[in-house]
Amino acid sequence: MLAIGLDIGSITTKIAVMDGNDLLDTNVSFTGYNAESAWRKILKDTLDRLQLKESVVDRIIATGYGRNGVGIADKTVTEIKCHAVGARFYMSNVRSVIDIGGQDSKFIRIDADGNVADFVMNDKCAAGTGRFLEVMARALEVELADFGKLSLNARKSSAISSMCTVFAESEVISLISKGEQRENIIAGIHESIVNRLVSMISRSKIEEPVVLTGGVAQNIGIQTALAKKLQIKIRVPDTAQVNGAIGAAILAGNI
Amino acid sequence: MKTFAYFDSGHEFPEEIVMAAGFSPMKILGDVHQGTAAADEYLFPFFCPFARGCLSDALANSEKWDGIGVAHGCDATDHHYDMWRAHVMGVPIFWVNTPMKIDQTAQIFYRKELTRFIDNLIKQYSVKIGENELKDAIRLSNQVKSLMQQLASLRAKKDISNQDYFEMTHKAVQMPKELLVEELKTTLADWEGRGPFPAGKTPILLTGSDVTFVEYMELLDTAGLRVVRDDLSLGERYFATTIPDTADPVQALVTYSFDMPRSATRVPSDSRLEYILGALKDTKIDAVLSQNMKFCEPYAMDAVWTVPALKGRGYHVMHFERDYTPSDNQMLTRLEAFKETIQQKGGRQNV
Repeated sequence: MLAIGLDIGSITTKIAVMDGNDLLDTNVSFTGYNAESAWRKILKDTLDRLQLKESVVDRIIATGYGRNGVGIADKTVTEIKCHAVGARFYMSNVRSVIDIGGQDSKFIRIDADGNVADFVMNDKCAAGTGRFLEVMARALEVELADFGKLSLNARKSSAISSMCTVFAESEVISLISKGEQRENIIAGIHESIVNRLVSMISRSKIEEPVVLTGGVAQNIGIQTALAKKLQIKIRVPDTAQVNGAIGAAILAGNI
Repeated sequence: MKTFAYFDSGHEFPEEIVMAAGFSPMKILGDVHQGTAAADEYLFPFFCPFARGCLSDALANSEKWDGIGVAHGCDATDHHYDMWRAHVMGVPIFWVNTPMKIDQTAQIFYRKELTRFIDNLIKQYSVKIGENELKDAIRLSNQVKSLMQQLASLRAKKDISNQDYFEMTHKAVQMPKELLVEELKTTLADWEGRGPFPAGKTPILLTGSDVTFVEYMELLDTAGLRVVRDDLSLGERYFATTIPDTADPVQALVTYSFDMPRSATRVPSDSRLEYILGALKDTKIDAVLSQNMKFCEPYAMDAVWTVPALKGRGYHVMHFERDYTPSDNQMLTRLEAFKETIQQKGGRQNV
């Protein structure tokens, strides 16, 4: 059974191809203005790379913000369920998933049977998401990919008190003008995101093992700040960014 | 018939008194499509957007109305009486205070308040509001409530969309009652002939802030969630109980006001929870969608204890905040995810 999961996020589009229980390939590209163009291209590129034709694909499940626009999908499933399933593929006994995507962040609690027991999401606000980091990286003139490593060199964390992305950006610019070290500001930004996440998580109940997923999960600064704040071990799969797509592919294989 | 508009937040306004005075009561609901720009001239954007929408409505339409009543509901309605008197011109505005509590003192207070309101209407409009007029109004009102009860009970059995139900709850508080009764009878015949409850839909109870625009109900239907019970004032709170047929019509209105399902602006909250639990049990449904509109503090705070109280009893419960906007598709993911969590266990969750 050749199954594909397509995760159309607000910033990136992800794909996972599975043959039975084997993960054959994953891929990531920017969603951009035209989500349909993005998923068609990533689907073609990935199948080309695997030297497969679209006709041999048995099932496709679409997830993510743009899931309803994937006309060829056999089914759509929410990213909540897909991230839970994807995290279980990485760690079968996972009980909590923290997913930080481009536009939203979510906490998913999984019960002993592997079902989604509860979930909470951020409310229509960029704070605590990948978009927040993007805005801050631009203000600090730092590549987003370098954000995590730079924060590890911080001597202290600058206090970022505003929860609003726009006001936080003003706060960061103010810190820059005061001569605050860039690394300290980045560490402060990470702490700010983590504080918001932990407040959100506290509306549910975190249980270990905890898996961190989504594009922001690759940021070592976020991983470190989150583990410190929650005082628990945070597991991050290599496939964190495509975790939702993997979950979708697994579900597609089970239809 | 002359229109008497009113602004309340949890079905506090005594419609029957203005009906007895010869008016057609019409609940002010604002218009989400028109926005709140007119009211924003006087109010900051962090105030309840629904209340701002109602003020915008009043500023635009008060000339078409013969009177406005503001009844004590949440803090927003309280303060709006003063604001509207200052800014909504050309129409008499009345204040009806309603007690927060339901004890004996509150009953005495409320009776005096209703009598004061009746006296003020008589003085302002030179109308007669006697026992007979009040009893006729109560009879008509009860006819509406009874028909609405019958309609609402079909939601769990028939294919009644959220939008269809919304439309009738809207008409119930805005249409002239005599015309409404005829429309309700026609609708009842239509709904009774509908197909069975659709297999792909998940029945839920909806609680929290009032839903004042149809797009939100459509969104729930799109997510596969069918509202078969609720405790909204634009819903069951309006018709769940009828007004007692007693010799003293003013006392009957007092009793009715105290017996209806409670909103989150009233204390204690236990009876509010009891109504929800009773509705879940009666209809044999396991899922509750709790929501509050942004800046609707009573329901935001109420959810802090009602949501855990319901979860603790094993029900599927999701609470979230929504905006005052007809376009809220970002909510679709969590609504669909809520449906997925209900379906995966096929019933109650063990929390």
